[in-house]
Amino acid sequence: MIRHLFKLIWNRKKSNFLLITEIFFCFLVLFAVLSLVVHNVRNYSKPLGFEHENVWLLTMRPASDSTELNRQNLEQVLQRTKAFQEVESVALTTSNAPFAFSQMNNNLAYGQKEIMANEYLVQDDFKEVMQVQVSQGRWFGRQDDASHHQPIVINRALQQQLFEGEDPLGKLIPRNDSLNYQVVGIVEHYRPSSEYTAEEPGFFVRIDLPKNENAFYGELLIRVKRGTGVAFEEKMVKELSGITKDWTLEVSTLEKMRQNKSKLAIVPLIALAVVCSFLIFNVALGLFGVLWYNISRRNGEIGLRRAMGASSGQIYRQFIGEVLVLATFSLLLGVAFAVQFPLLQVFEVESAVYFIALGMAVSIIYLLVMGCAFYPSRQAAAIHPAIALHEE
Amino acid sequence: MLKNYIKIAWKVLLRRKFFTFISLFGISFTLMVLMVATSLFDHAFGPQMPEREMDKLLFVNTMREQKQEGGFMTSGPPSYHFLHNNVRTLQTPENVSINSVFRTVNSYVNNRKLALDLKHTDQAFWDILDFNFLEGAPFGQQEVDGASRVAVINESTRKQYFGSSKVVGKDIVLDQVTYRVVGVVEDVPVLRLHSYADVWVPISLRSQDFNKARLHGSYFATIKAKNSADIPKIKEEYAAMMQHAERQHPEQGTELYSFPDTILESFARTFLGRGQEAGLSMLYTVLAGLIFLFMLLPTINLVSINISRIMERSSEIGVRKAFGASSSTIIGQFIVENVFLTLLGGILGFLLSAAVLKIINDSGVIVYADLGLNLRVFAWGLLLSLVFGLFSGVYPAYKMSRLKAVEALKGGTK
Repeated sequence: MIRHLFKLIWNRKKSNFLLITEIFFCFLVLFAVLSLVVHNVRNYSKPLGFEHENVWLLTMRPASDSTELNRQNLEQVLQRTKAFQEVESVALTTSNAPFAFSQMNNNLAYGQKEIMANEYLVQDDFKEVMQVQVSQGRWFGRQDDASHHQPIVINRALQQQLFEGEDPLGKLIPRNDSLNYQVVGIVEHYRPSSEYTAEEPGFFVRIDLPKNENAFYGELLIRVKRGTGVAFEEKMVKELSGITKDWTLEVSTLEKMRQNKSKLAIVPLIALAVVCSFLIFNVALGLFGVLWYNISRRNGEIGLRRAMGASSGQIYRQFIGEVLVLATFSLLLGVAFAVQFPLLQVFEVESAVYFIALGMAVSIIYLLVMGCAFYPSRQAAAIHPAIALHEE
Repeated sequence: MLKNYIKIAWKVLLRRKFFTFISLFGISFTLMVLMVATSLFDHAFGPQMPEREMDKLLFVNTMREQKQEGGFMTSGPPSYHFLHNNVRTLQTPENVSINSVFRTVNSYVNNRKLALDLKHTDQAFWDILDFNFLEGAPFGQQEVDGASRVAVINESTRKQYFGSSKVVGKDIVLDQVTYRVVGVVEDVPVLRLHSYADVWVPISLRSQDFNKARLHGSYFATIKAKNSADIPKIKEEYAAMMQHAERQHPEQGTELYSFPDTILESFARTFLGRGQEAGLSMLYTVLAGLIFLFMLLPTINLVSINISRIMERSSEIGVRKAFGASSSTIIGQFIVENVFLTLLGGILGFLLSAAVLKIINDSGVIVYADLGLNLRVFAWGLLLSLVFGLFSGVYPAYKMSRLKAVEALKGGTK
């Protein structure tokens, strides 16, 4: 039966050529869009690794070049913010704060392996401010003041890529000729760049203010008490600019920054999904029209089969089967093409994403063609043999 | 003859309503997406308030410093010092404006925070660009020289900060600094990076930056040519100036890259540019490729629908052939019919895109977006629908015209 159907389609391959290409491109579009959607949804469902509610980011841009003065002001700002009643804890960091638009990368080497990882410079209190959970080892703190090595906390992704199953705690990673990093703890997740980005290897480096007398850090993360609002923000900025004079101070909530980031990820995705669904709908309508016309032209053939004793169910199954075979032809082509993405690792995306998208795209196409063939085939099956033969 | 063809086409359209709907839906939707895309493109790169004379405007926004050994590279906006001493002194341009990269300042009104983008500009900025003033006027040379705390604000800021309409002469407090409002302009879309801001104040308020003799800073320059033919000359002069600056650089072997670009060039340079080349042709290739891919599916769809439609009429073709119509006449007829259909779809697509653009404008997805269907976009849409019509009509018509009269009369081929 199935072989017979293949033969039927193959014999009319010229007139079916357009349909096959149409389904083929339709599949490719679906596959591309679904891969993107699956990738984003999978990332979204993973934990961020920190709590961003009630955290504000204060950005400070000094006006003068005098390091000494800037440093003096910075320390005063730190003291003053900590003293506010509404503030729970604060931690300095760099421009790659959670949901910010900048990134800092560094090469890490261990044994033969070398990878690029995100570097997050943070103060000890960062753990309290962002409520990061350390799953193995410990967070750095005062006890590291005397250490020869610079303590770092790494995330699970870094551990998997760099240490590959080895226990990383206590291991040394050379930073430069005179200084080593020492791994003191591991966090399971840390995805600061956006809810829709994949987990990237990253590590936290301790900001030790007393040790670096000239260093300046322009970003301050502030965890405020629940329910603290703009009134306090205004008061805080006023008081702080009393200290810093002509610095540029900017406060934004991490929630706001998260919304900006997710808008940036979601809006193109929605636009793409809308365009894609209209394309598919368009194709479905076209397919429906063409199938209807093709099937109605084969009245004579249907009449003959019915007269020879085929039941209407058989006719019905034949037409649905034919369309499925047609779709299979294009899908074979399409899958052969699409499967190159996970095989060649074209983009840095997990293979699982592609396979899920592939499965979804294939089933959607099958459903689509079956849906399009349903009505015309039912009409064909309902034809009375006498009438069909009479027409011929 | 043409009238006859169109009459026939209209009758055929009415006879097969479902097929007509499919075709029109496909055409109008595809056109709508293309029109919205062109409108977005125009919004970002075409002439628009305040950058209306696009063919005379050039923008400088980056300075790239590259050391030969070590591959060390820094890139960012140039400094005031560099622009003032090297770009303002150029001979060919009619006028040069130096303005700062906008930055966000906070303002607190009635327990509400207002984050506003502030830009420092000189007086030439207002001469070169064509803002629509709703109230008052720009600040003049006197205010710039005297570093007066005056500000031009946009319409949205007026609404959010003051809520009233007569605001010239009132005070606005930004980051604890008080400015006097001298003018109100229409909102400038955020994609116009070189002109956009919520509040514009005199550049002399940042005079502490003026004497820092380094290359990188946070300033842009806007160059206006006397006429569009001068653009290449300005680019040449600029390149010569850059070579001079490179020679004067204290470190040997440092390469400096900075170019006066049109908006489209600077966009292309950011993403595709290599060295001296702006990568404009590459950008066009990529865009054309994307449009082609996007149009492919609807076109195939339309072709297969058209084949079915035309096949149905094989007996009509048979009769015409039997009475001596040549292949080209028949192809001509079907192409006219198809173009008629696509034009119909084009009109529908137009109404659709007007609706979609309105939705985008109202949704606030793009800050201060004012997307509109202007004549340029209209012309593009018309051209696209014609291409579309020819594209999807030629193949089926060709196929049908080759039918033998006898076969066609019998009801087409297998």
